[in-house]
Amino acid sequence: MESGSQPVPSPVREDFDREVLAWMDDVYRFAMSLTRDASKAEDLVQETYLRAFRSWQTFQPGSDARRWLFTIARNAFLRGLERERHHVSLDDGDPDALGAIQHYAGLVTDGTDQLLSRVDLAPALTDAIGRLNEPFRSAVVLVDVEGQSYEEAAAVLEVPIGTVRSRLFRGRRQLQEMLAEYARDAGFAAARAPERGGDDA
Amino acid sequence: MHKGVDCRLAMTQLWDFLDQELTEENMVAVRIHLEQCSACHPHAAFAQQFLTALSRCRCADPMPETLRTRVLDTLRNAGLMS
Ligand SMILES: [Zn+2]
Repeated sequence: MESGSQPVPSPVREDFDREVLAWMDDVYRFAMSLTRDASKAEDLVQETYLRAFRSWQTFQPGSDARRWLFTIARNAFLRGLERERHHVSLDDGDPDALGAIQHYAGLVTDGTDQLLSRVDLAPALTDAIGRLNEPFRSAVVLVDVEGQSYEEAAAVLEVPIGTVRSRLFRGRRQLQEMLAEYARDAGFAAARAPERGGDDA
Repeated sequence: MHKGVDCRLAMTQLWDFLDQELTEENMVAVRIHLEQCSACHPHAAFAQQFLTALSRCRCADPMPETLRTRVLDTLRNAGLMS
């Protein structure tokens, strides 16, 4: 039964209210994490609800409305980025173990670890998340900020779990590199130590 | 009981371990290695602190009161709600 563009009948409206409008706080928080800007977040929430209402018939009753909304919000966010002609990297890359070991060794010897235990990093990290490119930002936001499992994030992002994992690895590594920069700027790390061979992480 | 985990494996699986995404058996094996290995331990501690710091970036600002009204208005204006 296609109802075209006619107003949705009120019983549907009640379901929509109960299932979907109830999650607006969560959608707003997710939108804030993605956009890092209150007014962009509000626009994204509006866009999300508009799209959700238009495709309400495709929602499977009993399925996870919050997850469904997050998927819509994330897709709307990506389209917004495309409109702003930001570069959206679709390269997932792949994490390699030896690179990871060198990377950690560098961060620990270089004092970035002291930064973590001594300073409230929320402002620096929030800024760093805002500088992460997609698709890494969404993965980091869902798992690291929102606390979702790989499986939940995979469902929101509509990709396999392995893809979530590799995006997370890459995203976290980029964040740590930004933190290391911050640590140097803040004088925590002895200015870039003379590099010894092989330190090309 | 568990297969030996060397440094390379421990580091490869560090994120999955910290995210509790390994099987129960591998969780135990990696934990034992990280507790006992003085080379890996600081890396694991660093990564854990990093994740804790990230989890604190969750937006604490409440949703603006006006947003709900705005959303409902938008839906009405789009002819989607009566
Ligand atoms: Zn080790």
